[in-house]
Amino acid sequence: MLSIALKMLFGDKVKLLGLVAGIAFSTLLMAQQGGFFIGLISRSANFVLDARDVSIWVMDPLTETAEGPRAMRDTELNRVRGVPGILWAVPLIQATATLRTNEGRSTNAAILGLDNVSLVGINRAFVAGSPEDLRGPDAIAIDQLGFARLWPGEPIRPGKVIEINERRAVVVAITDAAPGFSAPVVVYTRLSQALDYTPGGRNRLSFVLASHAPGTNPADVGKVVTAQTGLKALTSGDFTRATIDYVIRNTGIAFSFGVVIGLGALVGILVSGLTFTLFISDNIRQFAVLKAVGTSNWRILGMVASQAVVVAFIGYGFGLGLASGFFEGVNQPLSELKGFWLPWQVAAMVAVATLVIVLLASVVSLRRVLVLDPAVVFRG
Amino acid sequence: MSGVIVTNLVKSFGAGDARVTVLNGTDFSAEAGKMTFLVGPSGCGKTTLISVIAAMLSVDSGAVNVFGTNPLILKPREVVRFRGETVGFVFQQFNLLPSLDAAENAAVPLIVQGMSSAKARSKACDLLALLGLGASLSKLPSQLSGGQQQRVAIARALVHEPKLIVCDEPTSSLDAASGKTVMELFSSLAVRPDRAAIVVTHDDRIYHFADRIAFMEDGRVVRTEDKTRPHVIALEPHR
Repeated sequence: MLSIALKMLFGDKVKLLGLVAGIAFSTLLMAQQGGFFIGLISRSANFVLDARDVSIWVMDPLTETAEGPRAMRDTELNRVRGVPGILWAVPLIQATATLRTNEGRSTNAAILGLDNVSLVGINRAFVAGSPEDLRGPDAIAIDQLGFARLWPGEPIRPGKVIEINERRAVVVAITDAAPGFSAPVVVYTRLSQALDYTPGGRNRLSFVLASHAPGTNPADVGKVVTAQTGLKALTSGDFTRATIDYVIRNTGIAFSFGVVIGLGALVGILVSGLTFTLFISDNIRQFAVLKAVGTSNWRILGMVASQAVVVAFIGYGFGLGLASGFFEGVNQPLSELKGFWLPWQVAAMVAVATLVIVLLASVVSLRRVLVLDPAVVFRG
Repeated sequence: MSGVIVTNLVKSFGAGDARVTVLNGTDFSAEAGKMTFLVGPSGCGKTTLISVIAAMLSVDSGAVNVFGTNPLILKPREVVRFRGETVGFVFQQFNLLPSLDAAENAAVPLIVQGMSSAKARSKACDLLALLGLGASLSKLPSQLSGGQQQRVAIARALVHEPKLIVCDEPTSSLDAASGKTVMELFSSLAVRPDRAAIVVTHDDRIYHFADRIAFMEDGRVVRTEDKTRPHVIALEPHR
């Protein structure tokens, strides 16, 4: 019966095309917007994700997101270093500044001031130069997308001189860091340098980056840090999730993307539902013949369900292929959408949604077949 | 008697003022080994009667016996099985599945009964060859003439060797020559000692194929005529 069902499906190429196109469009919309949403909110945690040596982030108790730290007293660093289970701890300053080129271009940037000695917290993927180059005077490293934005069309290489808040800085290295959520350009420099670039009050420490001692659990060590210092201490994973949750809770992004994804699903249901209904309607006599020759409603149900699943599979394949192609195209080193990708979890969720859409669409049209009187085959 | 016996059948459609009684105490019989024609003016209840006999319609009252089974008292699942195993259908409009080729169309009742597609196709091909369609096994219905399509439909009705064949106007969509050929083939293959064939028709050109003709008027069989069929083309019986 499966072969008969599939031949009925593939025998009507126009409707098959309509069904596949509807599902593919719906899949594309849900997967593309889903991936876009994940890519966008993940930007807020890029600083955390880039600091791969760090297992524990210590911050002011009121800090909620990686891009919005509340300054702490410098002395907090030593208090954290004194907590049992902490292997090492280094400071990180994070601030926003305006970059200005000699050609007059300017942009906002996130300035990350790293521990002068260890440079812990830096993105280790360098396009040009190396972390060691940051030890020179006025030395900064800039991400390659930021470089392309400030010097469009020019070859990406160190040596450019810029102003950060009217102070001289020399680009000595280019990193592959992904842009943040609020600052489109990422600048790494030594902590002492960062303090010059971003003048402020006495308390400038944004985060204490730490690692747990071997044989300890970072989450447990974090709890000890909190208990002994009163500071908030989160593992890198927890801080990433907390940052993303904060963005979701405090912006309309999730709602906005949710509406688009919902519309995608709705379009899928409507298009495939209508086309499937037309398909069933046009084939109603064929189903009546099948019922007349002894096909049970359960087998008809199985036939329609198999048709629906095959259509879903093909449409999903096309839609996901298009969505993957989109992300493959935009996730380039110098693209504004760098770092946007299609997580497998989104693909899996869209697969389930597509299956539900098609089954819903087929259920709508299936009722007509199930109540169909096989005696209609005698009518001319 | 082995075959089909219908007793005092009453069947109405609609309700209230719109209620129409189509079968009004109908008595009818069709013996095994014979081809029984059911004739009469449009609207007299012929199609309703064969629909009831073929377990496609329920009735208000009356009894039906098809080779010892009363389809009217069967459970829904048993009715489906009864239709699949006991009845073969030939329709006026052929009603072939347009996406399936001739052999696949003829094999449908066997596939419905659970036979593998390959085995069912093989059996259908043998039967189609007997019906003169050995060269058209892989053709789609749209590539066949009306007469050829009706021969495929006959193969579909016979392939699972049912006890009862029900034909609804099998020649009305065909020209005279095609209709004659189809009926010759049908009467050769369909009529067997253990099988009854009921043919509903308006086409008096084919009355001579009948062993018995039942005339219907206003929901009743008003008279029957027994006839002697002419000798028809002898074909290998279908196994």
